[in-house]
Amino acid sequence: MHTRPDPVGSVAPAACGITGHALVSARLSEIAALRDRAGPPGAPSLPPRFLRHCDEHTVVGMHAILAALAARSGEPAGLSRHAVVAASRRIGRLAAAKTLTGLAAGGGVSVSPHIVPQCSLHSVAGAVSVGLGMRGPHLGVGGGDDALAEGLFAAITIVHAAAAAGDPPCVWLVATEWDDEPELDDAAAPTSDPVCRALALAIEAAAPDSAGQGSSRAAVNRGRAAPPPRAASSTGPALSLSLRFPEIRLPRIAGLDADGGLAEFARALDMCLEGTALVSWTIECPWGAEIRVARPSGLAARAAPAARLLEAA
Amino acid sequence: MIAVAAPARSREPVVITGVGAVSPLGNSLVEIADNLLASRCGIRDIDPGPLGREPRQFAAPVGDLPDPPAGTCRLGPDEVIRLDRLERMCLVPAAAALADSGLGTPAVGGRLGLVVGLGAEHLKAWELDFAAGGRRVLEPRRDRALAHRVAAALGIGGPVLTAAAACASSGYALALAKTWIESGWVDACVAGGCDVLSPTAIAAFYNLRALSRRGDDPSRASRPFDRDRDGFVMGEGGAFFVLERGRDAAARGARMHGELAGVGMSSDGVHMVIPSTDPASAASAITAALADAEVSPGEVDYINAHAAGTPVGDVAEAGAIRLALGAAADTVAVSSTKGASGHLVSGAAAFEAVACLAAIQRQAVPPTLNLDHPDPQCPLDHVARVARPRAVRVTASNSFGFGGSNLCLVIRQAA
Repeated sequence: MHTRPDPVGSVAPAACGITGHALVSARLSEIAALRDRAGPPGAPSLPPRFLRHCDEHTVVGMHAILAALAARSGEPAGLSRHAVVAASRRIGRLAAAKTLTGLAAGGGVSVSPHIVPQCSLHSVAGAVSVGLGMRGPHLGVGGGDDALAEGLFAAITIVHAAAAAGDPPCVWLVATEWDDEPELDDAAAPTSDPVCRALALAIEAAAPDSAGQGSSRAAVNRGRAAPPPRAASSTGPALSLSLRFPEIRLPRIAGLDADGGLAEFARALDMCLEGTALVSWTIECPWGAEIRVARPSGLAARAAPAARLLEAA
Repeated sequence: MIAVAAPARSREPVVITGVGAVSPLGNSLVEIADNLLASRCGIRDIDPGPLGREPRQFAAPVGDLPDPPAGTCRLGPDEVIRLDRLERMCLVPAAAALADSGLGTPAVGGRLGLVVGLGAEHLKAWELDFAAGGRRVLEPRRDRALAHRVAAALGIGGPVLTAAAACASSGYALALAKTWIESGWVDACVAGGCDVLSPTAIAAFYNLRALSRRGDDPSRASRPFDRDRDGFVMGEGGAFFVLERGRDAAARGARMHGELAGVGMSSDGVHMVIPSTDPASAASAITAALADAEVSPGEVDYINAHAAGTPVGDVAEAGAIRLALGAAADTVAVSSTKGASGHLVSGAAAFEAVACLAAIQRQAVPPTLNLDHPDPQCPLDHVARVARPRAVRVTASNSFGFGGSNLCLVIRQAA
């Protein structure tokens, strides 16, 4: 009974481009020292002591987006138009464990007022929005094992809506996770030292010639004063990002572990970018759709950004 | 500054064909409308529970949770009872919305989506488990998000997403669902959000000095826009909706509760907790939502304000409304239903969308309870203490959250 706007198999796929990305990692024991560390040269600065109450995911996520911004040649004056989607797996567990053990022992007075604003699913996106003055929409998504797929889908949704409205922003996706969840003792103190990873992706509407579909940013921009900055030496998105619905099954790309987490996904991005061993990489959403990353045909391969392991100075 | 709205263009309206709710003021659109328009209050003393140490607490709790409507849920009654309170609070209204829509999942499973607005799913789940003697917060395990579990229970086979934007979470869920439908990615979508009372959240907001301390008379503690307001009162509950294209709903003869005509979203980008004193960002979300709905400020009949009763937030919102509506702000009826319901946090935007539907269906504006002395810094056309009968065709509902998240929904009478 329900109508479909297009024939089965070609349901309005959304096409976007990835115009920058950066992966950073830091051990739990190193994160405290990173709260006051500036980003790499060329990155915007944060307000003083901005990260002091933030969750560990936020600290590493912020350093990832600073690294990605530093790698872009565009002056970040246009950041006020950007939007943020954060996709975190089990953010806030360390703070929650400390809070709950403290609450049971000492009552409500022991609960930090920062736990809700700083350690919830929205908190990474909120901190990026506030810290960098991004005034497009911001939201957190995911929270569980499917966070990356949800994050990509949410970012594509916002880019798609905004591009169709003629006001396409750059949407930053910041995905964060522990490589192994921290182990805690009964007093909620960590007994392991896992690595927290964060992958920042700049996602923008793709021009038709770079992805073959989707709206052209140039065509739909209303001519506002500050268009989003573009990637370094870019003539278009470095990688296309497309959404395919279940009716349009793509061949799976062998060679990488589809469930390998952010490190594996970042490695796939780099390989696609460099054109060395992969031309595309597909993430399967739990509900059957596929999100495909590919280097647009005709675009020269380029060097991938180096992954950064952040350590205390 | 940017405020994102779905594209303004010739398009199919997105209509609301199903409503399900659990709230301090009832568990259906009819009950909630009755209680809001009768100026009843859902705020009272509560048992602080095993983790609450304060001698007296007050909030707006949900009473006994109903079961999912028969035939909507793949879980048996024993399995539903074993779910934690947050998951039941999402499952029950989502199932009720599907039942209300008459859509049924078998016909559309793979083309039916779900967006759940939830700001602190894991914190609440860890807390509920910890209070019951569990160790999940200390010994984590891989898990799928609540939204995926609810989707599986309801046979929803399309896109599933958890959206967190603090107190605007369930409004963001509706905004994303609207885009999916307009883009043709789904035929219909269940969207909304809920929240539960939690000792951790109550203590955190209390320590943040965001909660009212007027414990001597809980029913008069939540006082949006009143000069004597001193903070908000926490509540729990929320709502879910079934959204679909208007032509699909008409073709199957579905009842249309209203149209989700416009959405607007923006961020202050100023502070993690305190709303910006500059109304421009919040106003831009309202303006974008009106533009998305192709509605002029003078056509708005009612604004359901976010106004939680905090000294700073209510003034900031009044400024945003005046900036967005201009001279029309003098004649648009405004109320905050948080005086009656408390603040449902992640579920607030969805619950307040129900209040907008109630205003449209009953042709009356629900009041702001306890608004005895309107703050002169909030100069609006307040509907104070008792409902105001009036023609209501177009409504707007604001939701603002930590991190400076701004959202506005425009809901109007279905054509």
